[in-house]
Amino acid sequence: MKSAYLSVLFLVMVLSHSPVRAQEQPLTPRQILDKVDDLFRSKSSRGIATMTVTTTHWKRSLSLEMWSKGKEKSLFRILAPKKEKGTATLRSGNDIWNYLPKVKRVIKLPSSMMAASWMGSHFTNDDLVKESRMADDYTFKITFSGEMEGQEIVEVTCYPKPDAAVVWGKVLVRALRQEYLPLSIKYYDEDLRLARTMTFSQVSQLGGRLLPAVVTMVPEDKPEESTVIHYQKLDFDIDLKDDFFSLRTLQK
Amino acid sequence: MNSLQYGWRNLWRNTRRTGITLAAVCLSTAILMASYGLMDGLMQHAVSNATNLVVGEVQVHAQGYLADHSIYKALNEPDLILEAAKQKNVAAAPRRYGYGLVAVGTKSAGARFWGVEPASERATFDLAQHLQEGRFLSETARRGVVLGQKLARSLQAQIGSEIVVVVQAADGSLGNDLYTVTGILKAAGDSIDRNAALIHAEDFVELFVSGDRIHEVALNSRGMVPLDKLTELLSIAAPEEEIKSWRQLMPEVSDMVNLFDAFIWIFGLIFLLAAGMGVMNTMLMATYERIREFGILKALGATPWGIIRDVAAEALVLAALGTVLGTILGLAGSYYLQQVGLDLSIFAGTYSVGGVAFNPIWRATISPKMVLIPAVLMLIIGVVASLYPAALAARLDPVKAIHRP
Repeated sequence: MKSAYLSVLFLVMVLSHSPVRAQEQPLTPRQILDKVDDLFRSKSSRGIATMTVTTTHWKRSLSLEMWSKGKEKSLFRILAPKKEKGTATLRSGNDIWNYLPKVKRVIKLPSSMMAASWMGSHFTNDDLVKESRMADDYTFKITFSGEMEGQEIVEVTCYPKPDAAVVWGKVLVRALRQEYLPLSIKYYDEDLRLARTMTFSQVSQLGGRLLPAVVTMVPEDKPEESTVIHYQKLDFDIDLKDDFFSLRTLQK
Repeated sequence: MNSLQYGWRNLWRNTRRTGITLAAVCLSTAILMASYGLMDGLMQHAVSNATNLVVGEVQVHAQGYLADHSIYKALNEPDLILEAAKQKNVAAAPRRYGYGLVAVGTKSAGARFWGVEPASERATFDLAQHLQEGRFLSETARRGVVLGQKLARSLQAQIGSEIVVVVQAADGSLGNDLYTVTGILKAAGDSIDRNAALIHAEDFVELFVSGDRIHEVALNSRGMVPLDKLTELLSIAAPEEEIKSWRQLMPEVSDMVNLFDAFIWIFGLIFLLAAGMGVMNTMLMATYERIREFGILKALGATPWGIIRDVAAEALVLAALGTVLGTILGLAGSYYLQQVGLDLSIFAGTYSVGGVAFNPIWRATISPKMVLIPAVLMLIIGVVASLYPAALAARLDPVKAIHRP
């Protein structure tokens, strides 16, 4: 139930770290996604963001601090509101641990909860874990390249490999052709019906890069609901040791 | 001398043969009754277990709650339902439900939290006594939790274990707290075994920030109020809510009950057939043995109908005697099976079939229909079975019959 937001942040980190310089030569679809992926993989990052979740029953904002290193490790900690302050999540590979400051306990998320929402957001625990394996689990094809709504864009469609254990039937990524800045990611279910849409907006300077500062996730079946992540601060290539991503750090 | 007296006397001309047949009819009747009682007992056990344990006879939910179990789909006026139940002296238990995560040490699992009022549950259902270990929740909220059997096992939780609960509260916040395991339920149906975590209603409200939301009111009159009367009462008290009887809530139990009914009839028919064959065999032998006698009777002017009547009367006397003895024996056996029961615990402990928990002691029930139906059917089949030998005797040629060796 708490993993959804993690994945969002993670995904955003993966996909939004595009180089600022314009690309001259056309890249293969795999290269386009790898570019994004590679950038993230080789670096570490630290950031502060606000997550605003709107549902039909409530609306609330969480302030988060997060760290990541390579593809496998990330750590998130809630700064506000007070009720959840200090609640932290550690992801290492496919495992997720949560620290609950109120009861001072760490619990490991059971695999049965991977599909559950994180903190009531529109992201699932599984989002967090699986995005790092996107390149392994999907095949890619450029399905559009040219002008759309006044912007030069490139569209990459990802289909799962036949034996890949993934939940989506198709993932459609749109990016600006010039900077390879992501515009939107549409997730389709196994029957190829649109399930949810993630859009990227407010491109701004973050940590010395040009990145979309706002990520919005809207579930297709409840269009009035949304989860919006707004990055306030991002730093790249910071010095983070591997043992930072430990259960000990989680409980700090 | 009428046919019945005649039959009675004839019966005792060959005491051994009559005794054997009498024993066959008597035993068949007794077995039929006892097995009917056992099947009926199992069926009633299943129904009362299913309803008295936790489900109740009728449940009320908000429209659509049962489809998605959303914490936001609460009853509009639960107080009116509780009030209506109280006026008719029907016990009722209000419940709140929510989903979350429970963890003990390094083990964690998903759970369905039940926010219950321990006093109402005790007054309405047997769940509070249905514990494998430990105790049910106390009347005051003390962060205690009672776990389903399989959930406790997968968490390796014991009485006194400290468990961490994490839930998505109704206001979107993260609810988490420490609870202490006070009890572990016996098998109570698969979904309860696997994911039920019972907590005090007040603890639930705090954990889930759920306010006065109540998701279910379960009513249980323990058979005192007929099902249709209960449903009617509720449809007046809560016309906008979804009202479901146990037959709708537990279609598998309802199907099982119907299936048991069919089983009882099939087994009954087999026993009746076997007993009927026994009676027919005796009557056939008795007829063949007395072929010369029937020949003389016919030669003296007895009509075929007179002979059929005599043979049938003899069978009726035999069947009646056997049935009376069988009823006595069957009632005694059923009484024993009702009081002591069959202990199946060497085969299985508390087990559950189709989501219904069964006690390993199998007990019979005694009811007028379990005595009357086998007795009447046995009488009928005894007489019907005698008609074939009677017809044989009636059609005898007197001259040939008299000269038969």
